Amino acid sequence: MAELPNVHLSLPSRPENVLIVRQALNGVAACLTLDAIASNDLNTAVTEACNNVVMHAYGEHEGALEVDVLALSDGVAVVVRDHGKGMPPHGEEQRQEGIGLAVIDTLARSVGFALTPAGGTELRMEFDVPNASALEPIAGEDLETFAAARSGPAGAVELRLAPNAVVRAVLPRVLGALAARAYFTTDRISDVQIVADILATNAGESIRGTHLEVGVTIAPRKLELLIGPLLTGRGESLMTAAADGSAPVVERLTDAQRVARFDSAETLELHLADHR
Amino acid sequence: MPSVATKPSPGARTAPGTSDDSHELFTRWQCDRDPHAREALVRQYLPLTRGLARRYGRSSEPFEDLLQVASLGLLKALDRYDVDRGHPFASFAVPTILGEMRRYFRDSGWAVHVPRGAQERALKVRDAQERLANVHGRAPTVNQLAEFLEIDTEDVIDALQAIQAYDTLSLDAPRPRADGEAVAYGDTVGEDDERYELVELDATVTAVLGHIPPRERLILRMRFVEDLTQTEIAERVGISQMQVSRLLRRSLEQLRTLTRAD
Repeated sequence: MAELPNVHLSLPSRPENVLIVRQALNGVAACLTLDAIASNDLNTAVTEACNNVVMHAYGEHEGALEVDVLALSDGVAVVVRDHGKGMPPHGEEQRQEGIGLAVIDTLARSVGFALTPAGGTELRMEFDVPNASALEPIAGEDLETFAAARSGPAGAVELRLAPNAVVRAVLPRVLGALAARAYFTTDRISDVQIVADILATNAGESIRGTHLEVGVTIAPRKLELLIGPLLTGRGESLMTAAADGSAPVVERLTDAQRVARFDSAETLELHLADHR
Repeated sequence: MPSVATKPSPGARTAPGTSDDSHELFTRWQCDRDPHAREALVRQYLPLTRGLARRYGRSSEPFEDLLQVASLGLLKALDRYDVDRGHPFASFAVPTILGEMRRYFRDSGWAVHVPRGAQERALKVRDAQERLANVHGRAPTVNQLAEFLEIDTEDVIDALQAIQAYDTLSLDAPRPRADGEAVAYGDTVGEDDERYELVELDATVTAVLGHIPPRERLILRMRFVEDLTQTEIAERVGISQMQVSRLLRRSLEQLRTLTRAD
């Protein structure tokens, strides 16, 4: 059994995706009832680590920026990972790097580097949290099967969220920020967040396995969500979850829905557009 | 499992070095109290200070205020840095400057109160949303709000989130309608609730819905049964779209909790 993150994000290493990481962290901070200073510390340190991956890990190319949030008994650990060359470069960039790492060193209670088997880098930062119990340590088998088998489109943002309080704080924020990027109006951003609320609230009883996985693809005025792995029959019941016994909320707020069988589980695909 | 590489301290390892020039300036300031040397050092490390103020305090306080606090940290660092110990100045200055900013936030009650800057911005975003919705007849995008208010899109996103969370903002005050006539809730809710009297619902749901205030029930109906947009609902009920959003999310949450309790 491995120690699994409460939150796992995998995003293309683009500058604009650091904003998505920050929104996820705001959710974690809200969930842990961090005060503004602790939340700011967490956000600033992780931003520095992500910027390092975006700017240096893959040279001229793009790769995956991965962020994990793990529960500790007295705090949280955030791991920022790349599969590129990772380690801070030397030479002319060194001045900036040094400052970024000095910032992380000041704001985190401990910092450690590790190399991934593929030669990338993991930067693990730990932060003190007085009320860390809102996140539960998650143990389970490795998560790779589902995500690897369905291989989302390039450029997609992938989230894996443990079905506890954190999913309810993180998912609406992240999907809201992605909807904003897809030029949705504030009306539709709120609709997306309502759909996220429903997915998050029902995650515990809907998923097969340890985590709710959501793959998000965005295009101008379009947002596509691939949600899984769900227990058989749950895709349908998520879709028709009713607001007041008379109207299926998710069906009403989305433009297309599809449930697909996947081994012994299923996926729910939701399309949201902003027609204005 | 990944192998763990040893790393004593990232700051000490890769921080920028202190050049011979700086070494001389530090000696002139710390030993001879030469103000020109201090001025030269301040000029040299101002970009670092500015960068830290921007990184650490993003979107919460006016930048000028933060820069002032960060600069105070820089001056302290210039006084306390021990040039002979051989550590680069930046690795010493970063924690000192960040420490100064954290103390400022702590002392000004920033940790427990909603930061002034963030609160003001949330109100501006809410007002701009309504204004643009009125002008264009539909809700604006985040980019349009950012452009209109001349702020970052991320600041708009944060403000939208903050509005969802605030109870302290006077969101419940009557809002002017598009035709300029102010309407209070009581007026609209009573009459409309009659029309939207709930039918064909099973006993559990009806019982549960009884716990939801009439205005929220009305808004749920308008959105999910009548399929009105949040902006259209906002106009009919006489509140902001942001508040419609907040009420929808809150009452759906309430419904789920109530349904589960039964």
